[in-house]
Amino acid sequence: MGSSRLGRYVLRRLLQAIPVVLGVVILNFLLLQLAPGDAATVLAGEAGGAPAEYVEALRQRFGLDKPLLVRLALYVKNILALDLGYSFRNQSPVLPLILARLSATLLLMVTTLILSLGLGVLLGLLAAVWVRTWKDHLISVAAIIAYAMPLFWIGLMLILLFAIKLDWLPTSGMEDAAAFYEGPERFLDIARHLILPAITLSLFYMALYARLMRATMLEQRGLDYVTTARAKGLAERQITLRHVLRNALMPVVTVAGVQVGGLLGGSVVVEAVFAWPGLGQLAFQSLFARDLNLLLGIFFISSCLVVLVNIVVDVVYVLLDPRVRVG
Amino acid sequence: MTVRRCCALALMSVLVSATGAPPASAQKAGGTLVQITQPEPPNLAPYISTSAPIGQVTAKVYDGLLEYGFDLKPKPSLAQSWELAPDGKTVTFWLRTDVRFHDGRPFTSADVQFTIMDVLKKVHPRGINTFRDVTAVETPDEHTAVFRLANAAPYMLSALSGYESPMLPKHIFSQGDIKTHANANNPVGTGPFRFVEWRRGELVRLDKNADYWRKGLPYLDRIVVRFINDEATRTAAIEKGEAHVAGFGAVPYSDAKKLAQLPSIEVTTKGYEMISPVVELLINTKKPPLDNQKVRQAMAYAIDRQFVIDNIWFGYGRPATGPMSSNFAPSGLYTADVTKYQTPDGVATANKLLDEAGFARTDGGVRFEIVHDITPYGPEWQRFGEVVQQQLAKVGIKATLRYEDVATWLKRIYTDYDFFLTSNFLYNLPDPVLGVHRAIHGRLIKQGTVFVNGSQWSNPRSDELMDKATTEPDLKKRGEYYHEVQKIVVDGSPIIWVFELNFPTVVNKRYHDVIASPLGIYTNFAAAWRE
Repeated sequence: MGSSRLGRYVLRRLLQAIPVVLGVVILNFLLLQLAPGDAATVLAGEAGGAPAEYVEALRQRFGLDKPLLVRLALYVKNILALDLGYSFRNQSPVLPLILARLSATLLLMVTTLILSLGLGVLLGLLAAVWVRTWKDHLISVAAIIAYAMPLFWIGLMLILLFAIKLDWLPTSGMEDAAAFYEGPERFLDIARHLILPAITLSLFYMALYARLMRATMLEQRGLDYVTTARAKGLAERQITLRHVLRNALMPVVTVAGVQVGGLLGGSVVVEAVFAWPGLGQLAFQSLFARDLNLLLGIFFISSCLVVLVNIVVDVVYVLLDPRVRVG
Repeated sequence: MTVRRCCALALMSVLVSATGAPPASAQKAGGTLVQITQPEPPNLAPYISTSAPIGQVTAKVYDGLLEYGFDLKPKPSLAQSWELAPDGKTVTFWLRTDVRFHDGRPFTSADVQFTIMDVLKKVHPRGINTFRDVTAVETPDEHTAVFRLANAAPYMLSALSGYESPMLPKHIFSQGDIKTHANANNPVGTGPFRFVEWRRGELVRLDKNADYWRKGLPYLDRIVVRFINDEATRTAAIEKGEAHVAGFGAVPYSDAKKLAQLPSIEVTTKGYEMISPVVELLINTKKPPLDNQKVRQAMAYAIDRQFVIDNIWFGYGRPATGPMSSNFAPSGLYTADVTKYQTPDGVATANKLLDEAGFARTDGGVRFEIVHDITPYGPEWQRFGEVVQQQLAKVGIKATLRYEDVATWLKRIYTDYDFFLTSNFLYNLPDPVLGVHRAIHGRLIKQGTVFVNGSQWSNPRSDELMDKATTEPDLKKRGEYYHEVQKIVVDGSPIIWVFELNFPTVVNKRYHDVIASPLGIYTNFAAAWRE
């Protein structure tokens, strides 16, 4: 396949993504209107009692006194100009607020993705190779346990063990709050802080990919092309690594793409437990504060991210399997 | 000028006490204190929002005209002395002459005038009330500020801390719209710590102000305020020594008890004397059958306050007697001489009152049904709701529980009045005018305004007494007015005042003089030091 053809394909997918993202934004905007109460009430509540004039002034400032459709039209118009608006609660434009948190979430997500995909695929492959032996059973049982445990509970147990009892790792945060390291020391400090949240978030997905990989490996090994390869006298290792693995990876890659959205959701819990300064916590706080502009901005960026990752997955799909056409 | 002399002495004593009780040699300079504040503040603009976490950060950056001792009496701060005119309508503040903002510009009376008249009186949620009688702030010279008032406002002098009324630099905040000012999240004050950075979702860094007007202070090099969403993780961070102080329920009550057993941790309930939170059950007195005074009194008898304190809040509280906290006892404003609902035969009395009110038990033993809305502030409030349900059931009132998020709950209670009974807690604040009137005065039945008179109950006599107390400079007379108010309101029982909440503050024992004022974690930590 020519690179120009692939380029056209990516461009087309990007254009298709625009109405998807816009649809997500409009739907979220309308859904959020269903919840009673607004940002002005919450702010006045936090103020511990404020005069009615104050609440009314807040509503006017936030534009909450305008009709719903006017607000929606204004919001969509701004979104099209990539203006995500202003968070009155945070006294700051929305975009820098999100960007400040995006890197932490991306770091956690990418580390998790690498860790869970790498180990999940490896464990699934080994389980398939050792099928129906005690090693296969061990991997399968461990995967089921990891899959079944709630994220927040795993997180807290890891903190208790590695931070409190063994004193090997920090309990929470992204950096040592008292140290303010620079350069390579800062890099190492962040890496130390990343270990526990990344493991916590990875365990679930690692189990998922391991189970899936094992199942598809076994399925592939029963197909005719493997029998043919064996008949041709290829070594078992060669069949597994050259042929079966490549085909078994396809469903795993698909699921990994779909799971990016879920990973964002899971990071809300893990970020809360480990005080990881990412988007998840910001979304959580803005939801309860009815900080509509900020929340919609987060939804917008998240949906862009999910759409983008799925385009990347489709491209990987094409590269992995020449039978997939992009015409 | 007696007040000035008093203030000079007070200044000396505050300098001694503010630097901590132990001898000067005991205190060491240096070190970083990590404070946990929960949740993360939405902004760092205490002049526009009184959201609790904001003040916990900005009180270190902004000073006020005054500070306060544990006896709630004012002490000098940016104002080195002050004088109240006999009619209470003029208050003159003489300011320190050696104070500079963190950007190096001097602090003057023009900053006081701007802060009060152009900011706090207009956009501060509580300042609108606190300074409503201030008609002008005159500036005869750079270091004198004269407050002119339409009526005497004795309560105003208790609301001039750096937390409640932070002094802002006019040269910065007069430029542009105060409501969306660029420095909202980049505070510039005169306090012992200057703002360095805010890593959203993570921390705020405040470094020592080397040019602080209290020479030799602060001792600490840095304060880092951390934000940790999960309560178990907050406890772990304190236990491990990664964080050193946490208050205002940031550490769960059960964990505070556990942490207190550790040799490295001290748990104190001091530092809330100017805030005085009171946990209550708010009754909608317009909703039958709760419009019947006997029914409300019966409910007040049915609630076992000590059980709630011991079993839900792990002992962090004392039974409340009425709308005013016993923290007002030293000033003479509080009285316990009111109808007492916490009695050994409370259930029997409640049953008798409900019978008298005409609500007999049906076959199932139920007299009537209500819905109890739980304050959406965390798990202990849910457990409190369950206890209320059980205790009301004993007297034949069937309560169904409802739990909604903050915005929905606030709208239901204060805008729609669509409720029977809800739990809540209100701060009494440093003066009844600021924290108590709002819940019981008839003028403060304001639909759509949160944390005011949601019970919609009032009494002309108690309203009149509160109005008199508002402008009465004589403390003894104020005390008499408030004693009568408490008797009338407790008898009317529009609210069941359950207990005075004593928040636990956990402090790492290597740090000293951290909680050094009745505003606790809302103060500037200038005198705090590390071993």
